[in-house]
Amino acid sequence: MFCDLCGANNPEGSKVCTQCGRNFQPTPENSIQPPMPMGVTPSVHVPNYLVFAILTTVLCCLPAGIPAIVYAAQVNGKLQAGDIAGAQLASKNAKMWCWVAFGAGLAVLVLYMLVVGLGVMSNMTRH
Amino acid sequence: MPYFRKHWLLAGLLAVAATAVATLALFDPATSGLFPPCPLRYLTGWYCPGCGSLRALHQLLHGNLRAAWSLNPLTVLLSPFLAYGTISYAFFEIRGRYLPRIFLPPVWIRVLCAVIILFGIMRNIPVHPFNLLAPGATLLP
Repeated sequence: MFCDLCGANNPEGSKVCTQCGRNFQPTPENSIQPPMPMGVTPSVHVPNYLVFAILTTVLCCLPAGIPAIVYAAQVNGKLQAGDIAGAQLASKNAKMWCWVAFGAGLAVLVLYMLVVGLGVMSNMTRH
Repeated sequence: MPYFRKHWLLAGLLAVAATAVATLALFDPATSGLFPPCPLRYLTGWYCPGCGSLRALHQLLHGNLRAAWSLNPLTVLLSPFLAYGTISYAFFEIRGRYLPRIFLPPVWIRVLCAVIILFGIMRNIPVHPFNLLAPGATLLP
């Protein structure tokens, strides 16, 4: 089962979330979850990682950020339709693509540092 | 993740973020050679939607809105939203709850995605007025 607060995957029948500590016991507050009417802000929080998606798209300038934004849109779309499980799946995908974009950006940075570092070293040996 | 390890990870991330912002404020990506070039620009010669964003953020950190705007208007427009979102995420990690959040309708996010892609295409068109979107175009005399 997925935690509806942080999205972590918990063993079936867990009483609290292992990641954020959310109480899964049915209480009057969190046991009832009617489908969301259109246009109403859902009370359940599923992160859509939109901020990180845009950051990696604009700063790492890599195509991997685009699917992250598309999945972020999907998270909010499914939340609006009341499809919590679908939103959590899209949220997971958005997170994954953010990391792919970030990792690719980091790889370019490391590669650049290596090339610059080697250039400096070869310059030093020449003089 | 155990509570104490999460704290160290968070402290590490904040330190990395602070170092990155300080480096970006101290060194101008346009002249320092400390920052890697955009891989797409390097390989193909095309501008991507993010080209000029580091230089624009450097100018923003120094309060030069006009220079930042000319380098990458998209970054300037999105920066308040991105800054607030990042602070909100950090606040959630530290205090366990978000700052007041706005639920963006999915259509808006799709429009934003289209705007980013279109901006990337348009700034490569070497015809007036599209060429004004290329990084730093309106800074030239």
